Amino acid sequence: MDLVLQLLFTGIGIGAVYALVALGFVLIFRATNVVNFAQGEFSMVAAYLMVVFAVDHGWPYWLSFLIALGGMALLGVIFNLGVYYPLRHRTFLPVIIATIGASILLSNSVLAIYGPQPQVLQGWFETPGIQLGPVYLDSQYLLIIAVTIALVIFNYWFFEKTLLGKKLQATSQDKEMASLLGISVSTMIMITFIYSAVLGGLAGILVAPVLFVSIQMGSTIALKAFAATIIGGFGDVAGAIIGGLALGVIETFGAAYISVPYKDGFAFLVLVAFLIFRPQGIFGERVAEKA
Amino acid sequence: MKLTRRDFAAGVVAGLAAPHIITSARAQGATIKIGMCAPVTGPAAESGRYAIQGAKLALEAVNKAGGILGKQAELIIEDDQTTNPGIVLAFSKLAAQSDIVGFLGSIRSTQVHAMAPDVLKLGKPVMIGGTDPNLTHMGNQWLFRFRPNDSYSGRVIAEYGVNTLGKKKWAVLHSTDAFGTAGGKALTAALEKLGCAPVLDQGYANQSQDFTPVVLAIKQSGADILGSYFTFENDLGIFARQLRQLGVNIPWVGSPSIVNITALKLAGPALYNTYGVADYAEDSSEASKAFGKLYRDAVKVAPDNQSSWPYDAVTVLAAAINKAGSTEPAKIREAILSIKKFPGAEGEYNFDQNGDGLHGYNIVKNDKGNIVFDKHIEFND
Repeated sequence: MDLVLQLLFTGIGIGAVYALVALGFVLIFRATNVVNFAQGEFSMVAAYLMVVFAVDHGWPYWLSFLIALGGMALLGVIFNLGVYYPLRHRTFLPVIIATIGASILLSNSVLAIYGPQPQVLQGWFETPGIQLGPVYLDSQYLLIIAVTIALVIFNYWFFEKTLLGKKLQATSQDKEMASLLGISVSTMIMITFIYSAVLGGLAGILVAPVLFVSIQMGSTIALKAFAATIIGGFGDVAGAIIGGLALGVIETFGAAYISVPYKDGFAFLVLVAFLIFRPQGIFGERVAEKA
Repeated sequence: MKLTRRDFAAGVVAGLAAPHIITSARAQGATIKIGMCAPVTGPAAESGRYAIQGAKLALEAVNKAGGILGKQAELIIEDDQTTNPGIVLAFSKLAAQSDIVGFLGSIRSTQVHAMAPDVLKLGKPVMIGGTDPNLTHMGNQWLFRFRPNDSYSGRVIAEYGVNTLGKKKWAVLHSTDAFGTAGGKALTAALEKLGCAPVLDQGYANQSQDFTPVVLAIKQSGADILGSYFTFENDLGIFARQLRQLGVNIPWVGSPSIVNITALKLAGPALYNTYGVADYAEDSSEASKAFGKLYRDAVKVAPDNQSSWPYDAVTVLAAAINKAGSTEPAKIREAILSIKKFPGAEGEYNFDQNGDGLHGYNIVKNDKGNIVFDKHIEFND
């Protein structure tokens, strides 16, 4: 039982990371019908910004955190203007290829500046974790889970209860109709990119003390997050969260009870199973309606 | 005779070029050239810089001591871009210079494998740092290794854990890539030979984000010692932290990456009191100490195996050519293979017929973040 509880905690912790990145995928997909393959690099860039300010310059953690998120918002603007906006009238394929290009550019730019060696970023808390009976709770994972829960609540409130959220939803559902209603579609898409970049950055900053800061940290997480969005139902916020958590738990238990080297295989086995038997994902109805 | 404008121009060009051509022609025979493929760019550019520094320091010492065959030695460096195609291109550029008498290849086995067919075709001695045992066992007589190969590291880890630390219940953890699998197999085989078959043989995929299932498996196996082959430092760092967080404090003897500077930085106190095998350990011999001091004074950073093996490679190559009294490849080869009890920064060189110069490893301990030499284990076979 102790083993199960320990694995469950770790699985939820790592799943929450996937969920955070998956949220960014979903928001951009809903707004633009495009998968942003640079979402993982958003996480990586934010983690490196934290290294620049909190480690290299020694600035307070909270200030570095705010600057890093501000930087990510700016990156969201640049990304929208430089990658999405010029291709907005084209089919989804050129845009997707542009996001892959942007992802390569971002990772190689950071590589050129920082080199290939991973960097250390301290967590928010002095205490690395707490022992709760037989289960060790890593404080950073606790924070990641708490932030994920908070974001679920925030997203619900923002998209369902605020005018801006409703405008964003309207834009994602039908751009032409939203435009006819006086909503500035390009502004809404800009806001979506900013929010997604900040979300991706938040995931990167939160996970950096656990996985270290490295060039490939974003792509590793993004691959799983992408699988999580498909499992949850592409385009669904709740689906991204549930998909991410499910993936984290499945791969952790699969590694413990079946095979460690094939840990990544379990995640993608589940993905393949969903693609065959339930391609619309767990919460797939909305995508079907949209199509 | 009337001097035309064309004749005048030709004369000026010839006059300007002649001294340069003469100097260049003279210079061709004036030095002994050694070619070096090094990662000047790419992910390993930082370690490439150390490798070049190591080779240059050796070259300075050789020249100060009279050079090679009475001539000054010169290093010709080509960028291998830290890639396999890059090193093939770099080596072909160097190989095209017929006056280069010997070469330094890579510390990465995969790059040495990539250049090996061209080395065989050229038929000149190439010094390498890659540790895949196959490199010197695949019929390429022109490769000479200046680091102990991986078959020795497994034996040294087993020997140290069983006979020095007195531990019999082993958990073996290794990456599932070529390096980790070969290392894990070598360690398991060595343990079986010592009568201590591992209670857990666990592979993991590179770039794992979480090692909780692995740590719990080690805990449940009842192992009293851990032996490991990690390829990437970030995996090692994540595992080390989780191992300690989940309360596993058994002795741990790891492959060289456990004492790598990056791993020490990432894992911090989680690696305190662990042991590692290291081909270069500053306090392991007088020659190692001397290199360490020379390197620190010149480069102002701590010496490591990235710089020590090229240092030894240039030193041994120069000594071999002097011993052979010729730059003929076959004679240099013979001279290298006849080198015995040669004190190098990496250890004492005793070349075997396969081209392996070193046959043992140092064991070092992580003493609160400082890597201290413990003992050297040498094999005669």
